[in-house]
Amino acid sequence: MLKLIQNEWMKLWSRKSSWIMVILLAVILFGTAGITKWVNTAMPIENPESWQEVETNELAYNMSMLENTELSDAQREYYEGEVAISEHRLENDLPPYEYDSMQQGVIESHIMMSIVTLFTVIIAGGIVASEFSQGTIKMLLTRPVKRWKILTSKYITTMLYAILLAIVLFIVTALAGLIFFGIGDGTFLTWNGSEVVEGSFWLEGLKMLALSFASVWIIGTFAFMLGTVFRSSSLAIGLSIFLMFTGIQAVFLLADYEIVKYYLFTHTDLTQYYTGFIPVEDITMTMSVIVLIVYFIIFMAISYLTFGKRDVTA
Amino acid sequence: MSEQALVQIKNLSKTIGSKRIIKNLDLDLYKGQITGFLGPNGAGKTTTIRMMVGLMKPSEGDVLIDGKSVKHSFEESIEKVGVIVENPEMYKYMSGYKNLLHFSRMHKGISKKRIDEVVHQVGMKNRINEKVGSYSLGMRQRLGLAQALLHDPKFLILDEPTNGLDPAGIREFRLYLQKIARENGVAVFVSSHLLSEIELLCDRIAVIQNGELIDIKNVKELQQSRFLFKVEPLAEAEEILSGIGFPVSRFEDGLLVETEAQHIPGAVKILVNANISIFAVQPFKATLEDQFLEMTGGGDIAQAHTK
Ligand SMILES: Nc1ncnc2c1ncn2[C@@H]1O[C@H](COP(=O)(O)OP(=O)(O)OP(=O)(O)O)[C@@H](O)[C@H]1O
Ligand SMILES: [Mg+2]
Repeated sequence: MLKLIQNEWMKLWSRKSSWIMVILLAVILFGTAGITKWVNTAMPIENPESWQEVETNELAYNMSMLENTELSDAQREYYEGEVAISEHRLENDLPPYEYDSMQQGVIESHIMMSIVTLFTVIIAGGIVASEFSQGTIKMLLTRPVKRWKILTSKYITTMLYAILLAIVLFIVTALAGLIFFGIGDGTFLTWNGSEVVEGSFWLEGLKMLALSFASVWIIGTFAFMLGTVFRSSSLAIGLSIFLMFTGIQAVFLLADYEIVKYYLFTHTDLTQYYTGFIPVEDITMTMSVIVLIVYFIIFMAISYLTFGKRDVTA
Repeated sequence: MSEQALVQIKNLSKTIGSKRIIKNLDLDLYKGQITGFLGPNGAGKTTTIRMMVGLMKPSEGDVLIDGKSVKHSFEESIEKVGVIVENPEMYKYMSGYKNLLHFSRMHKGISKKRIDEVVHQVGMKNRINEKVGSYSLGMRQRLGLAQALLHDPKFLILDEPTNGLDPAGIREFRLYLQKIARENGVAVFVSSHLLSEIELLCDRIAVIQNGELIDIKNVKELQQSRFLFKVEPLAEAEEILSGIGFPVSRFEDGLLVETEAQHIPGAVKILVNANISIFAVQPFKATLEDQFLEMTGGGDIAQAHTK
């Protein structure tokens, strides 16, 4: 199996597009940081509010949210945490990270994860389909290796590429932040459910990155399935990207119906449990993870069945 | 042949939709023997080969390679097979060498040395580090042959392998196949349209038409000696020759006599005595092509048979 993955990895990096996407990711991240820096210096905010003023306003807003009686448990806990943190900061004179600092950038690096998803979809949709369109599939399948092993090696390679992109995202965000804004002052505080504690921005950034990787994983798997079933990379990539954008919109349309709880895109963003923005009521992290795993199993089963049974006439 | 067959194709059938593409094919292939697989366009050669290597599932029947079923123990059976199905497609964005490295990793125990050896055998040493995308058709065929030979297969299946090779390449290829068949005991199965090529290359020919195996012949049998008599008057000469027991048939403006060379002087003497004018007597070698057309009934593409 290791040799098969080695093969796929070699093929992946023999194509220019794989390199281009990694470089493009780095360029986009450096570019956004650079533009932010430029905007900040060209148009500085006049009379910026002190951090105490900002924190007081946020505290007031979060307290008002808590008065809403229809909050779900997850949301209530989120606002309680935010209130506790704000109070703690004001009492002990502990400022948060400046908005444009490397540390804040690392914590929020996951917001750029959709680029990783996009690039992963391009690889996932093409890795099986391209073997068919190039006709190399017949050379690949006439070896003493069972088909499921070949498919597995392709899937693992796709996910390795996705993980690599996520790591590049994390490192480049930190680097760009350091170069353009410096590390920045401030402390990072979290609410552990009963008290406010100081946390590491590296760990927080990695945690959020890992949570948002769930959507890369499941949408990548979906594109992989489409590429395997339809043997057309353009169809697989196009359809996956289309669904990626419209799918999340549909969550809001479906929000009032029971079915939304079993809908894939309600659960693709696991960071929602830490950012307080949960568009659907009564869902929990556990439930999301279970739903994602069920979809994963369905996507994989369809991929393996079609790939294993198909008559190859390419 | 009394020897146990290396490859047994057993009652192989394929139906797609309502079309029966391959019909109950039975064929044995032996060690050290080169078998040609001949048939008009659309006869089912490629489909048969695809089923032999597991690319397509047979609707009925099975293929045994060295006793192992392709259907039930795929890995063990296909291990011994080297194959080119139609044009060998390679990864165009990688060099020839990387392509071979890629396929070598899918077999057990192929060393770098073995790759170099095969590259040398197919005469690709000078271009092996260039991207496949820049190769000519003939070079791609050679690389295709290299990937099929990489693991020293006991059984080699080639679907129209000489397509795109130059005459020197074809000759080299033929001599090479005959060598590995003779010296290493490899069983070779070659489909081709180049009938003259098959005639030179093969020991045995299997003819397929409309998905049915219609004939299996040894090449020697096909090349039995015949003589063409250009004589006049034709009818009288025919009567005389068949009268003394020669198998005679008319061919163009002469008579075709199936016999050995030693009987010719006697036959000529009899004809001279009977006052027949003899213009020419020459050995007649019908090409395989004529016989092939005779067997398959003309040059039409096989019609789509429905059940
Ligand atoms: N996927 C398919 N669906 C329907 N019919 C098919 C399919 N594949 C092949 N056929 C039919 O099967 C028959 C045999 O095709 P095959 O490619 O095996 O012929 P062949 O002997 O290799 O021909 P050629 O000499 O042209 O290469 C043809 O009539 C073809 O139309
Ligand atoms: Mg063919």
